[in-house]
Amino acid sequence: MAVSDSTLSEGAGGGLSLRQRRILTHAGIFLTLIALWEIGSRAGWLDPLFYPRPSNILRSFWLIYVQNGNVWYHLYATMILVFAGFAAGSILGVGLGALVGFNPLVRRFIKPYVIVLEATPRIAVAPLLIAALGFGAPSKVAIIMLVCFFAPFINTLSGVVNVDEDRLELFRSLGASKWQTLRKLVLPDAVPVIMAGERLALTAALSGALVAEFIQRNEGIGSLILVYTRNLNMASAFACIFTLTILGFLIFRGMEWVDHHVAFWKHEPGLERVGRRRRRKMKEALDE
Amino acid sequence: MSDVSQRPSRLTGGAFGLLPHLLLFVAILALWELAVMTGVITSIMIPQPSAVAAAIWKLYVTERTIYEHFFITLTEAVVGFLIGAAVAVSLAVASALNEPFKRYVSPYAIVLNVTPGIALTPVIIAWFGYGMGSKMALAAIISFFPIYVNTLTGLVQRHGDREDLFRSVGATDRQVFLKLRVPSALPLMFAGFKIGLTTALIGAVVAEFAQATAGVGVLMSRFSFQLNMASSIAALLSMTLIGLILFYSMEFLDDRVVFWRRESRRAAASRAKARRWTALMGKEED
Repeated sequence: MAVSDSTLSEGAGGGLSLRQRRILTHAGIFLTLIALWEIGSRAGWLDPLFYPRPSNILRSFWLIYVQNGNVWYHLYATMILVFAGFAAGSILGVGLGALVGFNPLVRRFIKPYVIVLEATPRIAVAPLLIAALGFGAPSKVAIIMLVCFFAPFINTLSGVVNVDEDRLELFRSLGASKWQTLRKLVLPDAVPVIMAGERLALTAALSGALVAEFIQRNEGIGSLILVYTRNLNMASAFACIFTLTILGFLIFRGMEWVDHHVAFWKHEPGLERVGRRRRRKMKEALDE
Repeated sequence: MSDVSQRPSRLTGGAFGLLPHLLLFVAILALWELAVMTGVITSIMIPQPSAVAAAIWKLYVTERTIYEHFFITLTEAVVGFLIGAAVAVSLAVASALNEPFKRYVSPYAIVLNVTPGIALTPVIIAWFGYGMGSKMALAAIISFFPIYVNTLTGLVQRHGDREDLFRSVGATDRQVFLKLRVPSALPLMFAGFKIGLTTALIGAVVAEFAQATAGVGVLMSRFSFQLNMASSIAALLSMTLIGLILFYSMEFLDDRVVFWRRESRRAAASRAKARRWTALMGKEED
């Protein structure tokens, strides 16, 4: 009774649900922080040369996206490389991971190298690759490929290797063929793990592209950030960084969406969706 | 007894296991050397192993230039990691204890996570200068999130029966937190620390690439731009060494702190406790 009373009075008082009130509080905190920043900068506590005002960052967004429109070119240059490197690196990673995973002998011999590779900061190979392949797109793609390779490789390897022994026993005792075991037992367990690796890889790809651009400094969003910072145009640098935040968020959500569609059996809604489709198909088949 | 009987077999097993590995390694190096010598691979792009070995010898023994840079990078990564871990763990503990705090902090943590931390490099350098400070700051920023998220996940795990048991014997909130939640969060926290330490090293090195006066990253990009690939690879291997040192130190700590997860460590800990216990009993009898 008490609970329903209080919820009723809350509903009557604010006319807002709990969720709406939370969003309002979030917005309130956010705006207060922004306002404090702006005021601090205007009052001279924060040097606007190094810590740009929110209003200036907003103006920079307008400048680089609309008025000058120069960010589009660099964004495009970066994203093309990111996707090219990601595709190449992750295909290579999954392929080699499966190859190594299905072959115990190769697995045993490759293990020490994997450990050494894991300890090396892989982005650190960037200057080497640039020296070897020269300035330009090939070395950038190679860097992104290298950065993207590892997570899918390791995850594919562990996904393929960590098959449940009991279930494998069951499959064997029922006389399943190799192909059936792969398709019905190994893949359903491995694919979600592989997809987790792909998600990590795409995030790493963006970082790899940025490092490559920091070193090459000719085009791309990374070099844009570097140039703006060098010119102490911090507001524009921050506009670029927040662009990357949005991009990072889109990548995160995009990969989540792909994950839910590829490895649908790991997620409740996906399972229902596919189940409905299959039921429909079966019904149609039966009707005929 | 079983300890003694197992030890020799493990040793010989190790030796037999090691030999093929060594042979393969030597074979790869020999093939590589041969490929460069016959000109299949150009030595400018990929130097032969002997040249890399010579470069390592030069860096570590004759000229001894590496040590200064080595310790600078190591310090940057470790201090950055410590700062990042301190902030991450305290925020995670506060978030675990206080639901509203968690609700209002987590969006900012997520924003920090989806932003590639590396994008901040130039800005961080403008803020903290060309010295070690900017490298530590970047290392701290990019090692923050994995530690925060792992600590928080560990601390808010549901314990059901175990918590019921704690409550039924009259444990206070504080006791439940310190004796149940923290110990069961530790394995996940250490997993976060391991990731954080690796990313801290990446942060330090990338900041060194962008702008620095000393560090293995500086050494490496300098050698690369001189097309001195052998020395560059030697510098890269030094980074691997730093990475291995960091990783195994954390593994060691993990083993000691979360001793109950490993059979042998748990046995050692209970032996030590038993010894202390008997010593105590003996004293009381006197």
